Amino acid sequence: MPSFLDPAALMRIKSLELRAKVVVEGLWKGMHRSPYHGFSVEFSEYRAYVQGDDPRYIDWKVLARSDRTYIKKFEDETNLRCQLVIDHSKSMKFGSQGFTKADYAATLAATLASFLMKQGDAAGLTTFADGIEEHMPPRNRPGHLRRLITELERPAKAAGTSLELSVGQLADLLRKRGMICLITDLLAPIEHLERQLALLGAMGHDLVLFHLMDRAEIDFTFDKSAHFRDLESGTERFVDPHLARESYLQRLKAHRESIQAATDRHNVEYHFCPTDQPLEEVLFDFLSARQHRKSKIINHKS
Amino acid sequence: MSWLFPLYLAGAAAILAPILLHLRRRPPQDRVEFSSLLFLDAQTPVPVSKRRLENWLLLLLRCLALILLALMFSRPFWPSEQSATASASRATLILIDRSASMRREDLWQRAMAEAEKLVREAKITDRVAFAVFDRELKPLWTFDEDRQAPANRLTALKSRLEALSPTWAATHLDRALIAAVPSFDSSTATLQKRIHLISDLQEGAKLDALRSIAWPAEITLSLHRVEAAVQDNLSATLAARDTSDESARRADALVRLRLSNTRDSALRDFTLAWQNAPMAEAITAQLPPGASRILPAPPNATNATTLTLSGDKHDFDNRVFIAPPQPRTVRIHFLGKEATRDEASAPLYYLSRALQPTATLAPQLTADEKLPAQPADILFMVGNAPAEGVRDYLERGGFLVVAPSDASLLKSLGFDVTITPDTSDDYRMLAEVKTEHPLLKPFADPKLRDFTKLRFWKHRIIRDARTPARPSGLEILATFDNGHPAILSARLGKGTLIVLASGWHPADSQLALSTKFVPLLYGWLAAAGFSHDPAATLLVGDSLPLNAAQAQTITDPENKTHSLKLGETFTTSQLGLHKVQSAENTQIFAVNLSPEEGRVLPLEPAKLVEYGLKLSSSSEPQNESSTTDQRLTASDSEQRQHLWWWFLIGLLAVLLLETALAGRTRSALAS
Repeated sequence: MPSFLDPAALMRIKSLELRAKVVVEGLWKGMHRSPYHGFSVEFSEYRAYVQGDDPRYIDWKVLARSDRTYIKKFEDETNLRCQLVIDHSKSMKFGSQGFTKADYAATLAATLASFLMKQGDAAGLTTFADGIEEHMPPRNRPGHLRRLITELERPAKAAGTSLELSVGQLADLLRKRGMICLITDLLAPIEHLERQLALLGAMGHDLVLFHLMDRAEIDFTFDKSAHFRDLESGTERFVDPHLARESYLQRLKAHRESIQAATDRHNVEYHFCPTDQPLEEVLFDFLSARQHRKSKIINHKS
Repeated sequence: MSWLFPLYLAGAAAILAPILLHLRRRPPQDRVEFSSLLFLDAQTPVPVSKRRLENWLLLLLRCLALILLALMFSRPFWPSEQSATASASRATLILIDRSASMRREDLWQRAMAEAEKLVREAKITDRVAFAVFDRELKPLWTFDEDRQAPANRLTALKSRLEALSPTWAATHLDRALIAAVPSFDSSTATLQKRIHLISDLQEGAKLDALRSIAWPAEITLSLHRVEAAVQDNLSATLAARDTSDESARRADALVRLRLSNTRDSALRDFTLAWQNAPMAEAITAQLPPGASRILPAPPNATNATTLTLSGDKHDFDNRVFIAPPQPRTVRIHFLGKEATRDEASAPLYYLSRALQPTATLAPQLTADEKLPAQPADILFMVGNAPAEGVRDYLERGGFLVVAPSDASLLKSLGFDVTITPDTSDDYRMLAEVKTEHPLLKPFADPKLRDFTKLRFWKHRIIRDARTPARPSGLEILATFDNGHPAILSARLGKGTLIVLASGWHPADSQLALSTKFVPLLYGWLAAAGFSHDPAATLLVGDSLPLNAAQAQTITDPENKTHSLKLGETFTTSQLGLHKVQSAENTQIFAVNLSPEEGRVLPLEPAKLVEYGLKLSSSSEPQNESSTTDQRLTASDSEQRQHLWWWFLIGLLAVLLLETALAGRTRSALAS
């Protein structure tokens, strides 16, 4: 396994585009003749040309050879459509290592988009907090990546997180099937989300959930008593970390377990991403998981 | 170590505050932003049981600062041995005022009762002495006597005070207190010293002399004031005689009185009359409170010697005694012809007109070419006159004024001089006058020092026969502007000789016509023992101005006679007329009350403090007063030692340390 770039060092690069490029290029070089590229189009069948078909798709070689007009039919006419759904709630503004979860999420999204578009796949972006904020449908056009990155760099507006509402709205927006990468800290009761995940799954979307957490959130590394202020609601609570840690960790564990269970139930690909985990590693995990999943599906079909 | 104000030590309890503050943690100040409180429960800030002290060094410094502050305010001192022993027994001197103002109401009885009470309260181990004072301090029972027979002190007090009564003298509180200090002898050295002053403490009490001493710090003064129920008082004292009114020739018309009324007095009306005079001749008028007025005495038809003021309750200061006019006879003899008395050019003419009788002097001017049988008090000579008997006269104490025309008289008196007439045509004026000489005393007055209008037409040059520059044996009192002596004098035996280089009559000079002549003559009369000035007002306690050279008999106002031997003095103790009889004459002296004694309003004790006396309140009960004494002694020790300064310095040092440490802690926290 190649040595990956420390996220704290990576986040010091100011430009999000450059950050994404650094990660993707590093991964790309590392992969070389990697067997993983290619969820691109696959030839499906020929069919006779009928009036109204696009003449671009006429197989001219077959016409020259047999004087018949056939149209080359592919399994899917476009590449993979991936919708990156980013949590823009205020809780994402937390960070204990010099960068916030929102920074990490934006870099992760930019990296994914960059990687996908480099492969010829289409990437779209949706930001949400207590509802959908911005929505860019998946495309693979020159300049789209830049627009996507510009959108990612825009600061969050809303306060709270309403996964249920946001994902519900998303289901309305995404009519075509594709892959949905949900990047969130999931700081909301999972019960509300579960129903929406089931809906998206039923619609045929391929769901990937990136669960971001800061190290301070995972281990509760505070040691001084203080008034803890909720970034989303603004409410304050006096907490002595020495007393509260144990119950916090228990509850967090239960929360993560319930997420895990829910994702398993609804066939959602779940990635737990502490923000101190190198992005390449996340991406690598993601790709390998995809590959594993693909081979599973092929085996299942055969 | 002892404390002057131990109550302040309670202030050290304030260290609880920093301890509590240090126990209190500061969670509420810290705020941490966290992504979500989903998994966090609210907790009560830090249970008490879990509290522990933070920054104990800082806390220690703060507590120390508070303790030092409390110690500083409680004024610590090391108790001295003296104060420890002093609290055990005391040396008490009781001073009882017996001045004239104590004659009011029952003040004297109350003063005696107060003294008795103080003596009763004294412990047997205490040393007690008592004394009375008016103008002087008179010890009645000394510390020495008390040491020998302490049990007898009360009996002694009673018996000795009963024999006394208030005098007529003034209150010289200053002299009494100064005289009282040395009465604390060596036997009282280790004791706590206190003077109990029993007095009416009137405003008129004299305190000035207290400025001249530094009051001993170890002696405290306790005041026991006896006050009259009625403070309103009218008083009459003799004022200076009015000499300006020439029309008032009668001696009694010159008598003037100063009448005063006390402040806030309810009295206004007064009557002033000669004793036994009819009411019609009395003066009845009003005097506002706090005012004083000078009034001429009413006409004295009955030749009384006592003026009486009425209108107030206290009559001790309402009488003024006035001696009847008794001008002294001065026998003056002029050696010359009696017939020239009315010749305007003759020297006798001017003498007889200048020497007029006054209220105090009755000059008797005789003129003859021979010396009188009974020696004259003053002898005048002009020109040549027989010199027989003059030397004897002078040596027996005579007073001769001579304007000689030749040296024969002076030579017969033993002065080897030559006298020659000045031949210049020009007049002379006086150039140098020894105004400080007793024989020219009148010219000490600047009003009489202008000699520019006094011209001498003729004069004689008086020279020493051997050393012509100066006449030997004669003192030059004045010189002319040409340097020759004008007035010379010499002592001869007991007598005085005055030599004039020029006569006073108009043929010689303008002296007799000038304003200088009469003062000069009266100056010589005064030098011969016949002062023109009226006798000074005598107050009770003053000595009578007696001629020590003669044996005298004095009859006091109570008609007791006192025979005085040569050189003895007589101190007055009674108000009224004192008749002094000697072989030669009879004089009557009026002795009056001190004018200050009539100022009976109470004196503020603060005034005594201004003079440096250490007062302690007498109104407190005995046990409280002893506590006060101890506190006073403690206060002395504390003031001498100034220990609180060290606590202050320590406090400042601790505060500096605390500031430095707190600053460092804060910056460490911030970083």
